[in-house]
Amino acid sequence: MDIFQSVLYGFQVALQPLNLVYCFFGVLIGTLVGVLPGLGPAAAIALLLPTTFKATPVSGVIMLAGIYYGAMYGGSTTSILVNIPGEAASVVTCIDGYQMARRGRAGPALGISAFGSFIAGTIAVFALTLVGPLLAGIALRFGPPEFFALMLVGIMVLTFLSSGSMLKALMMAAVGLTLGGAGMDSISGKYRFTFNIQALLDGVGLVPTVMGLFGIAEVIENLETEIKREILTAKIKNLLPNLKDWAESIWAIIRGTILGFFLGIIPGGGAIVASFASYAIEKKVSKHPEEFGKGAIAGVAGPEAANNAAAGSSFIPLLTLGIPSNAVMAIFLGALMIHGLQPGPLLMTRAPDIFWGTIVSMYIGNGMLLVLNLPLIPLWVMVLRVPYYLLYPLILLFCMIGAYSIGNNTADVIIMLIFGIVGYLLRKFRYDAPPLVLALVLGGELESSLRQSLMLSRGDFSIFVTRPITLGFLIVAFLLLVVPIITQRKKLSTLEASP
Amino acid sequence: MGKVDRISGIFWLCFAVLMIIQSYRLGLGTLHKPGPGFLFFWVNIALGIMSLVVLIRAWVGKKGEEPQRAIFGRQNIPKIIFVLISLFLYALLMETVGFIPVTLLLFIFLLGIIEKKKWYYTAFVSVVVTVISYLIFEVWLQSQLPKGLLDFLRF
Repeated sequence: MDIFQSVLYGFQVALQPLNLVYCFFGVLIGTLVGVLPGLGPAAAIALLLPTTFKATPVSGVIMLAGIYYGAMYGGSTTSILVNIPGEAASVVTCIDGYQMARRGRAGPALGISAFGSFIAGTIAVFALTLVGPLLAGIALRFGPPEFFALMLVGIMVLTFLSSGSMLKALMMAAVGLTLGGAGMDSISGKYRFTFNIQALLDGVGLVPTVMGLFGIAEVIENLETEIKREILTAKIKNLLPNLKDWAESIWAIIRGTILGFFLGIIPGGGAIVASFASYAIEKKVSKHPEEFGKGAIAGVAGPEAANNAAAGSSFIPLLTLGIPSNAVMAIFLGALMIHGLQPGPLLMTRAPDIFWGTIVSMYIGNGMLLVLNLPLIPLWVMVLRVPYYLLYPLILLFCMIGAYSIGNNTADVIIMLIFGIVGYLLRKFRYDAPPLVLALVLGGELESSLRQSLMLSRGDFSIFVTRPITLGFLIVAFLLLVVPIITQRKKLSTLEASP
Repeated sequence: MGKVDRISGIFWLCFAVLMIIQSYRLGLGTLHKPGPGFLFFWVNIALGIMSLVVLIRAWVGKKGEEPQRAIFGRQNIPKIIFVLISLFLYALLMETVGFIPVTLLLFIFLLGIIEKKKWYYTAFVSVVVTVISYLIFEVWLQSQLPKGLLDFLRF
């Protein structure tokens, strides 16, 4: 099948009425999640995963994808109106978006972020269509050593980019790998790290872990420091940006899209980094850098475009290599596996309906979001007014039901609650959870590819340096480890501190 | 930072030591045929070393430069503990008591006792949430939530 035919096939799949409905619900719920502070896309996908169990794999995956890029859209709304990012990738949007709103320009700020997101999302999906098959073709030639090295790069990039201490991020990756080893060893059949606890025989489940670390922990943290929200009560008018706004932001959108696309592909990169990098670049190239922080529209358009492009392109490593590039994609990988699919280079040939159907549904979903987001803004503002004392019991209830329905047993619920406490403590002790999640997901594959490689080479470690692709990956991983030690690593937090 | 890192460093060091012992017992195998404990043995040795670095940095480094701050904001800690206890009880009682009664009780507890809302507001919201969540998850999504005490009703 050439690409044109494949895309056409994708449209046939995505345009089936049922799939359209799932896509619609996905983007709608995603936007809602993006709007609600205290519930990020990772927790939302984990939370809503059980709701897709009854659907066919295609419909389920389409809906989950919709939740993800929908959340990216929705996150900007709270940043602009309340100065609270709905999810981490919209942190930067607060800086100029909220200032625009305070100057009475909430309308154009919301408008440009919706258009910017739409343009970026669409271009990213288009590029995904072209790059996906190419990468999958290359990946078909990968053996266990290449996969081992690539997964190592993924974990290293995520720890390199983590917002806190890199040492602590590496420690979290080690903990994640160890947790991933719990349960039965697929090669020897021995049980590991189960400590005679029945619930651990099947290993530490990804979904309850993520719901705990990101959902429950977030609620506990918010309970400690009650959120005080000031919502702009002024009427929002003129959602459509004027010509001057467009002139100021169109290049920011294009630059943001390109940047976001490439940062999204790199394992470990993703929407959050892309939005910060785009803001820094826009400030640098602007003729009026002094306007940044006071309501520059380019400071809203660029990062919004970047985070949406990255959201789209982060599907590339997952769908073609089977390697998730960030915590959200890690859950997505778990979701695909629950639906009986193994993401990787063979996904395109074994389940073309999933691959092309999902990709094309993203084109359609982006269109739906544009139509949905602008007229529904008053509704989202209303949602924002739901008081937290009502919101948190609902989030908790959803987590409890979600965790229970994974396997209809309370063990998963208990695991989720324990990880909720762990996640809260990690935040308190300044450890990042995403490297733990990524390592937990990759752990099994990483271990078996290492052991297979060593069996292949009869215990000779030179297998990792004699194969050019493997060597290349390992050099990258090594540099990511060493560079921060030699030079002072520029942290995200410093970018955050000097907007 | 000092106190935070001292406590967490010790914790992760203990974790690493426990896992090193466990992995060693599982069998490291040989390089030709790595055993089930192979990767985790080395990963946890790395974790142990990193925890030591965190610990040493916390002890030796910038002592007294940063003001000592309490790790937890004390104000709402009792509230968090009560919420967590209610969630654990919810999980433990879910199968015996059933989804409907236990969800009602959870909301009455959270809204009425923790958040101290008026009783009619609490009652109204608890009933509405229970009914709607039951309709969404049990009727629409067929999640097979536990019936518990209400099993005899067979609805």
